[in-house]
Amino acid sequence: MFSDPFKTFAIGCALLSTLLLLWFFIRKPALNRATKIVLLFGIGILPIGTAGTGNIAGYHATKETQFCGSCHVMTPYAADSTSLESTSLAARHARNGAFGHENCYACHADYGMFGTITTKIGGMRHVYEYLFHYRDTPDEEFQAEVEIRNPFRNDSCMRCHSTRNPLFNKIGDHVSTQADIRSGKTSCASEGCHGPAHPFSKEAKKRAKAVGATPQAEVKP
Amino acid sequence: MKIVAKVVARAKRVHMTTLVRISAVFTILGLVLMVWSLLVPTPLPVMLAMSLGQAFGTSAFMLYLFAIFIDQRRGRRARRESQQNLQAEAERALRDREEPA
Repeated sequence: MFSDPFKTFAIGCALLSTLLLLWFFIRKPALNRATKIVLLFGIGILPIGTAGTGNIAGYHATKETQFCGSCHVMTPYAADSTSLESTSLAARHARNGAFGHENCYACHADYGMFGTITTKIGGMRHVYEYLFHYRDTPDEEFQAEVEIRNPFRNDSCMRCHSTRNPLFNKIGDHVSTQADIRSGKTSCASEGCHGPAHPFSKEAKKRAKAVGATPQAEVKP
Repeated sequence: MKIVAKVVARAKRVHMTTLVRISAVFTILGLVLMVWSLLVPTPLPVMLAMSLGQAFGTSAFMLYLFAIFIDQRRGRRARRESQQNLQAEAERALRDREEPA
């Protein structure tokens, strides 16, 4: 916990502020100039320090795989990606030291200048859907019913895999479909190429289809 | 706007210490939510800290500044009134001294 300087600073400011406020409540000092200055720190400066650094720490926390997996329907996705035995696309990317600890965000964040903002707005929608529709849904049913809202964009892959690398172009399929890959016509994460990224969820869909349950196409959080 | 004016008018009548105490309670509530989100970084605490926690913290600080502003104004007014009283008393004393002559 104390490895994150923002978190440590935020908690330190909150503790100091609470101490000052407890002193004010217990000692009940006269509201003279000295008390007002102490309260300026207790009510103003230190809580602003907590809010500022706490928001940064909170923002970082929302990018962690652990955060995404904290809603029970997402737990299997997070567990699969962090499993050392899994060979799924998600798991292989989660082993990257540069972004492995926030691998959900690294792949699912929107690309572009306002990508972070649109991703966070999308995340709020996920929380709404979870709280009001899927809170009590069993994992198997969730995986069978719910699909990614918009098709996965190749832009997310191309942040790292430029498609211009000689190593990439050594592979015949890459060369023959390069225009389609770059335009997004052919998905990198499609079955037969490198996907699906979370194979177990597709298996759940197949199982549901086999027993005759129709996936609810309109429900796409 | 009427509601805001009403609230401000009512707050002006409240004792400064009460306003500061309410502000301190709001600060503690905001801090509790913020620290909770730091210790348990899951969606609900993080969302509560970034919305309700921020609202508590901001309103607490605003309330504190308002209380200080009201207190300063009351102090200035009291000083001015006491100065005016002193001046009036001095004038009266001067008049009283001049009258017997």
